[in-house]
Amino acid sequence: MKIVDAKGKLCPMPLIMTKKALSEIKENELLKILIDNDTSVKNVTRFLDEHGMKVHIVKVGIVSELTVSKTGIIPESVQVEDYCKIENSNTSNYIVAFQKNRLGDGAEDLGNILIKAFINTLPETTLKPKSLIFLNSGIFLALKDSLVLDALKKLEQMGIEILVCGTCLDYYHKKQELEVGIISNMYDIIERLSQTGNIIYP
Amino acid sequence: MKYIILIFETTHKVLKTDKLLIENKIKFDIIPTPKDISSDCGMAIRIDPTLADLFLIKSLLKTNNIECNYIEKQIK
Repeated sequence: MKIVDAKGKLCPMPLIMTKKALSEIKENELLKILIDNDTSVKNVTRFLDEHGMKVHIVKVGIVSELTVSKTGIIPESVQVEDYCKIENSNTSNYIVAFQKNRLGDGAEDLGNILIKAFINTLPETTLKPKSLIFLNSGIFLALKDSLVLDALKKLEQMGIEILVCGTCLDYYHKKQELEVGIISNMYDIIERLSQTGNIIYP
Repeated sequence: MKYIILIFETTHKVLKTDKLLIENKIKFDIIPTPKDISSDCGMAIRIDPTLADLFLIKSLLKTNNIECNYIEKQIK
């Protein structure tokens, strides 16, 4: 039995390794793949299932052992990246739009720590926002020297879309200092805002 | 991961400490006071002891007469 150790690897690596290993074994031969993240387990299982191979999964601690018999063929032309789906079952249908780099109107220093606490708490909420939008002075939260950059990068890695107003970046001459998210425009921003459920303006 | 949470009596002490740590270029995060820690103040400061010098922080707070409680917290 051929064993593929994809521990510590994130998609698309486990898919690439699986496709390669299958091409190297004979028909009906067994292949065991070791994966330690649930997203990849789901993606590899779906990949094999759609090519006629049933996967048997045993979980040992955090490692899933996928055993499959080569009963199908993966055409060389198959793009494994098509099977990379990051599950975002806990992004909700709401958007947070930051219109300034503080929270509330009143004392500036209070507003500063409130917005920091707000953003630092977002990665831990049960239902995460679908997107974060930064407008006017809100853009400062997404720049190189922002004190909430780590939290924003973490949210982006979780699959939360971060849009930063291009006009605002340009006005403040900060386009070169954007460290997280993508430069967006009024069209895209309004598309997002008008098609979502709730919008939170901190 | 192990963090140290700094708990203060008033928001003003949090604000003072926020300013102090920024001035001294010490890495920290403002967070809401964790629910399992009782505090008079809703904001707290989270320190990653592998990224910030706790000893330096303690002495800075002492020099500036800011009282604070230190609580160890395991956060995944």
